[in-house]
Amino acid sequence: MSKVITIALAGNPNTGKTSLFNAITGSHQKVGNYAGVTVEKREGVRLYRGYEFRVFDLPGIYSLTAYSLDEVVARDFIIDEKPDLVVDVIDSTNIERNLYLCLQFQELRVPIVAALNLDDEAAGRGIRIDDKRLSEILRMPVVRTVGVKGYGVEWLLDRAIQVFETKSPTDYPVSYGAELEDTVGSILRELQRDAAFAGKYPMHWFAVKLLEKDARAIELLSGHRQADAVKKVVCDCIRKIEEHFGRDAAVVVAEQRYGYIHGAVAEAVRREPLGRETVTEVFDKFLLDRFLGLPVFLLILWLMFQITFKIGAYPMGWLEAFFSGLGAWVSAIMPAGLLRSLLVDGVIAGVGGVTSFVPLIILLFLFISILEDSGYMARSAFIMDKFLHVFGLHGQSFLPMIIGFGCSVPAVMAARTLKNTRDRIITVMVMPFMSCGAKLPVHVLLAGAFFGAHAGSVVLSIYIIGVALALFSSLLFRATVLRGESTPFVMELPPYRMPTLKGILWHVTDKTTRYLQKAGMVLLPASVLIWALTTFPKMPADPAGDVILLGSLRSQIEQDKLPGSGVAVEEMRLSAEARQRLAEMRSREALAFSYAGRMGKAMEPLLSPLGFDWKIGISAVTGLAAKEMVVSTLGVLYKVGAVDRHKGESLREALRKDPVFTPLVAYVLMLFTLIVVPCLASLSAMYAEIGWRWVAFAVCYWSVLAWVLCFLVYQGGRMMGWGL
Amino acid sequence: MTIADLNNGDAFKVKRVVLGREIGKRLADMGFVPGAAGKVVRSALLGDPLQVKICYYDISLRRKEASGVEIEPEGSQPSGMSKLGKRGGGG
Ligand SMILES: Nc1nc2c(ncn2[C@@H]2O[C@H](COP(=O)(O)OP(=O)(O)O)[C@@H](O)[C@H]2O)c(=O)[nH]1
Repeated sequence: MSKVITIALAGNPNTGKTSLFNAITGSHQKVGNYAGVTVEKREGVRLYRGYEFRVFDLPGIYSLTAYSLDEVVARDFIIDEKPDLVVDVIDSTNIERNLYLCLQFQELRVPIVAALNLDDEAAGRGIRIDDKRLSEILRMPVVRTVGVKGYGVEWLLDRAIQVFETKSPTDYPVSYGAELEDTVGSILRELQRDAAFAGKYPMHWFAVKLLEKDARAIELLSGHRQADAVKKVVCDCIRKIEEHFGRDAAVVVAEQRYGYIHGAVAEAVRREPLGRETVTEVFDKFLLDRFLGLPVFLLILWLMFQITFKIGAYPMGWLEAFFSGLGAWVSAIMPAGLLRSLLVDGVIAGVGGVTSFVPLIILLFLFISILEDSGYMARSAFIMDKFLHVFGLHGQSFLPMIIGFGCSVPAVMAARTLKNTRDRIITVMVMPFMSCGAKLPVHVLLAGAFFGAHAGSVVLSIYIIGVALALFSSLLFRATVLRGESTPFVMELPPYRMPTLKGILWHVTDKTTRYLQKAGMVLLPASVLIWALTTFPKMPADPAGDVILLGSLRSQIEQDKLPGSGVAVEEMRLSAEARQRLAEMRSREALAFSYAGRMGKAMEPLLSPLGFDWKIGISAVTGLAAKEMVVSTLGVLYKVGAVDRHKGESLREALRKDPVFTPLVAYVLMLFTLIVVPCLASLSAMYAEIGWRWVAFAVCYWSVLAWVLCFLVYQGGRMMGWGL
Repeated sequence: MTIADLNNGDAFKVKRVVLGREIGKRLADMGFVPGAAGKVVRSALLGDPLQVKICYYDISLRRKEASGVEIEPEGSQPSGMSKLGKRGGGG
């Protein structure tokens, strides 16, 4: 049996933590979530020198306060899971700010090995770090690493073994200066009156946290037997400090930490002046230029979209062809029946639906990873922040929202870059208003059928309304359910770095597998469910009914004056056409008879104030599976044959003939499709990012908003006399 | 005087963070502590947010947050523990 060493890999964002994690664990990783929260939990294993290293990748953070979920998760992990040691990844080019976090781990009295990562970059910038000296001053092992190259990993593990085996003492020499240590001492004395409590947490750390007015620490304090007495002492101390220093006690604590760090760094780090601009400064002059910045960013976005959707269309088409071919093949070799229908219309269509998004996801995430790893992502947020801030959004919301015009699924996944929970929830909840690619066929069909030459402007108006709704909803959420101080925009602009192929591929594979796992889990059963809803209950086989159908068909054919009718030579053609018509009518009847049809009919009272009838109700149900389904369902219902985009013309014709449809109703249906609950794939992606409570809330919000808005437009339009 | 009062390209030395609570603490965590040297590199299109160099790295702040950091404008003579490059950058 090998000994197990658990390691928590921690560090600031952009320090190369992910690269180092991959270098240590290779491909032996698994991803989950921390209990109850949407913060990603990544775990990997490495066997080395007879030890089994279990490495947990903590979220990238700057400090261990209780303000962000990431920080709480990281700190709870250290306190509750008690890893054998923390490997703190430090950006060697920016050692002060990185040591700030390291110091807080020292306060937690957990054994630490520091990895001075980005060693190559530091050398290039003339930064000389005397690692031996640093290690002596801070009393912890320090190892130089280059994460992307895997350089230094084995030294790191050797040091970890050493720390593990010798049980190195963790009485780090952190000191906050005389004034602060005095007050910490008096809080400490008070805390130690409850021995059981004092055994639970590192008390020096706890006392400092209380001085910092840390919400979690104050919460935990209620477990202390003399909580009130401690609180009183803490309040006195805070008042004394704030009087003495003239500023917030939490700020004073931070200052003292930096004071200690500056002392250490002054002894161990030399910076030689570079004598020239850094690459980042040169790039920023261009990419963040006041006037050039925005157009360059928009150009990058435009290119990203063009390439993704132009190139992505090919593999998407192949996949669709493959799955429809597979369906046809299965139909050919299996006897007709329920099982075949389940396989072809439920399972194969469902799997096809899941996989057809994959090329888009891969391409979009390819671009996003490049933007992220190169350091440009934060810059785009910098450029856009002012515009979005007006609407209560964050600069980093912009990119996910733009991706939403393509497909909500990767867009929702991209919202993960938003570290603040409130911002992320808002961004995700307004995402469906960015009219996605699958809604476009619906808009095009309806606009084409009823607005002729103005179709283009009508579709554009839907997009504009979508954006307006997104901004309006964001303001609304900010003012109501997600109230609170707006998130400060204190965001690091990391240096530009050349993304590595390995890193990019890793990100893309990671995101794609996650999409397949999460969306697949929901989409496949959902697709089977929709199949069942549209299939059951079966219409009773009814020869008499067929006769009636045939009769109505015949009279219709006569009415329509079908080409060739009455001409003996074309009798054959007619009968073939008649047979097809019959089949179409029967599938329409079957759909009307099914649960989905009944749901549509049941919804009619609710939908008729919007000008809709039961057929549109059914489309709303099937549209849940995928928005294009609205078109194909209408196709079935208007007896022009199922799922066939090329029959668009005949469907448009049929829609125009239906007295229910007027241009006003068509426009209202477009609005409805835009606003109402998005497809199940995006719902499942949202569930993964913001949890089911918010998704449930959002579903209600979208439904109500869709109804109210459509009602206003329809009734208003009728009053203006547009509906006729 | 605060960071928000500076022009692009101006160097400064932090006197203190006057904002309290979450944001003041966050700024202090990120290195805005007395004596730290920095520079306003540039502002975005509509003058907000600001790109600020502090402790050897770049950060972006909205004017609202920047106005919570009291500073002393720095002349040409760099001093103290954080000598920052005085070249380039200014927009
Ligand atoms: N030159 C250099 N680049 C690195 C090193 N480690 C990571 N990088 C790059 O830094 C960027 C951020 O790395 P990543 O591992 O994603 O950092 P994280 O945000 O801390 O997880 C990527 O472009 C990496 O390729 C290193 O040691 N040297």
